[in-house]
Amino acid sequence: MLEAYLEATVLGLGNLVHMDDGAGVHAISLLQMDPRVPHGVVLLDGGTQGLGLLHHISSARRLLVVDAVDVAEPPGTVVRFEGAALRGLPGKASIHQLGFADLMVALELLGESPGEVVVLGVQPESTEWGADLTPAVAAAIPKLVDCVVAELEAWRTQ
Amino acid sequence: MARIVVDPVSRIEGHLRIEANLEGGKLNDAWSSGTMFRGIEMILKGRDPREAWIWAQRICGVCTMVHAIASVRAVEDALKIDVPENAKLVRNLIAGAQMVQDHVVHFYHLHALDWVDVAAALKADPAKTSSLAQSISNCEKSSTTYFKGVQARVKAVVDSGQLSLFASGYWGHPAYTLPPEVNLMAVAHYLEALAWQKDFIRIHAVLGGKNPHPQSFLVGGMSTAMDPDEPAAVITPERIIFMRDLVRGALKFVNDYYIPDVLAIAPLYKDWFTRGEGLGNFLAYGDYSLGDQSDPKTFLFPRGIVMGRDISQVFPVDPHKITESVAHSWYEYSDGSAEGRHPAIGETIPKYSGPKAPFDHLDVDAKYSWLKAPRYDGKPMEVGPLARMVVGYASGKKEIKDSIDGVLKALNAPPTVLFSTLGRIAARALESQLMAKQLEGWVNQLDDNLSHGKTAIFNPVRWDPSSWPNSAAGVGWHEAPRGALGHWVEIEGKTIKNYQAVVPTTWNAGPRDSKGQRGAYEAALLGTPVADPNRPLEILRTIHSFDPCIACAVHVIDAQGREYTIPRIS
Repeated sequence: MLEAYLEATVLGLGNLVHMDDGAGVHAISLLQMDPRVPHGVVLLDGGTQGLGLLHHISSARRLLVVDAVDVAEPPGTVVRFEGAALRGLPGKASIHQLGFADLMVALELLGESPGEVVVLGVQPESTEWGADLTPAVAAAIPKLVDCVVAELEAWRTQ
Repeated sequence: MARIVVDPVSRIEGHLRIEANLEGGKLNDAWSSGTMFRGIEMILKGRDPREAWIWAQRICGVCTMVHAIASVRAVEDALKIDVPENAKLVRNLIAGAQMVQDHVVHFYHLHALDWVDVAAALKADPAKTSSLAQSISNCEKSSTTYFKGVQARVKAVVDSGQLSLFASGYWGHPAYTLPPEVNLMAVAHYLEALAWQKDFIRIHAVLGGKNPHPQSFLVGGMSTAMDPDEPAAVITPERIIFMRDLVRGALKFVNDYYIPDVLAIAPLYKDWFTRGEGLGNFLAYGDYSLGDQSDPKTFLFPRGIVMGRDISQVFPVDPHKITESVAHSWYEYSDGSAEGRHPAIGETIPKYSGPKAPFDHLDVDAKYSWLKAPRYDGKPMEVGPLARMVVGYASGKKEIKDSIDGVLKALNAPPTVLFSTLGRIAARALESQLMAKQLEGWVNQLDDNLSHGKTAIFNPVRWDPSSWPNSAAGVGWHEAPRGALGHWVEIEGKTIKNYQAVVPTTWNAGPRDSKGQRGAYEAALLGTPVADPNRPLEILRTIHSFDPCIACAVHVIDAQGREYTIPRIS
């Protein structure tokens, strides 16, 4: 198993009591039972914590964020951002004022930015109060999980 | 007369809208509107009360464990469960650590930018900043080279155009009046605070089992085993040492940075010692036992009420006098009334009647908020650090009185300056210091219990639902960083029949009631001068001084309308 060791953190973001907003956290729960996840990978349920997440991801070699991302696509659409595209993801415009983008800037200010960052997102249908995902997003979670596994696999074989 | 709208209020949790009337350069009225519905109560109905805290802690994006504590306390109260001392100590440590971390983050990362101009910091002289820093604090990081380095790091971020954290300030606004060197020192400490809080919160990883969402709460105690014979023992001598280092570091941070920074900045904004006064009614449920964990008389923060800024008298808290009005809130009660209803029989029936988006103004004569209007004995109250410090001061609690008197002496100011925007900021800093001093005491008590083989941390007597009465009701109190928090639970046939949470920000940010009485934010804005209606920095200063948390973070990353193609994965 030694060769399968991978230094990476998968961070699921979202609020479990706001339906599809919790998609990232649901994905983490599935990944925790997924034998395809390489050894060494840290799976983290980040909820909606802002700066409280800093110590988990500071200086991470590779960071994979899984989250609901509103890109005005059909519900359940899975999207991927990396590099320059991440800079376009707003911090201030999101409802959660200290969002993911702010975390990234905070780490930059501390000189502790992750080596590589990829965001895998799923288009939400509803973020109203409720503990369940909508059918469209629930159906997309296995694919989201597969995308996470594929991403980790790509890193492992780099 | 001009109507100013601030929506959303930035650098807070959740969604808040403020409308205010400006006449003759001053605000003569204001309305506070929570623009998101909070429906946790509906999600909890029908669930096992032993797992209520797991859901309740997701109410809020940031201060998760405060709801976990209030929730387990409510269920323990309903089922009459006595919790072992160790569990109370661990809860105090978790909540106390949260309070210090939360206050530091609030001051430096959510509020400082209302007072500190990042753009001006770039113009400061690092050598002068160094002498300034050395004159106010013993902290080691204060050399010219250090401040030069900070300036360069901040400049790099500003130049990259990725302002993010700093983007919501009104840079260049005439109300920023600090000298450049004070700005640079504060920005440097903003970064130090980022780094410190990141390490400190690891205490939750020890005590919470899993941070950021602690998994170690149990109805009846905690799951953080102390018995060395248990293979999964969490609280061990090594971890006691680790925690002792962290809490000493917390006190050092508060003493070296937080308190000196507040004392350096406050006198440069002394107008704000008379602005933002607000209601003058203060409510604290009290919390954090010292010594005997079951005796409220030992609370670090006493329970009580102060009315009309009269600190010569402290009234007892009668929980039956708490009600919530929905006269101006987008809810209805099943009996058709909008009058105050006690949370034990509270209802959460949403009924939106506001304008359809997009709109210019809310109809503030009708319903205008998703927050209810909590009242005590029919009166609006302020909760939070200032309420705790005022109640503690008026109660004659020695630690609190000494702390406040010390600062008043340093500022050469009378106690009345507490009732202000800066008073709230100072109260939060002093409270952080009191709490940081106390944390080590709790660690030592745990250590002592551990070394004497006193390791009980969970009382299983009511774990089995067959031991429960058919119906039961209880309430859980907690002093969260933002103020008085109560959870009310009603259990019937082993599941939750009704659940209500009255959270600190509902007390402070709630709308008017059926008598038209203003909430705490609304009252605090009256009379505030606003220099530029298009950049109402002054409104943010007072609203942020309460540390708003609209307690319902939804945080979908919103990439709509951005200028790039959507990288779909098919």
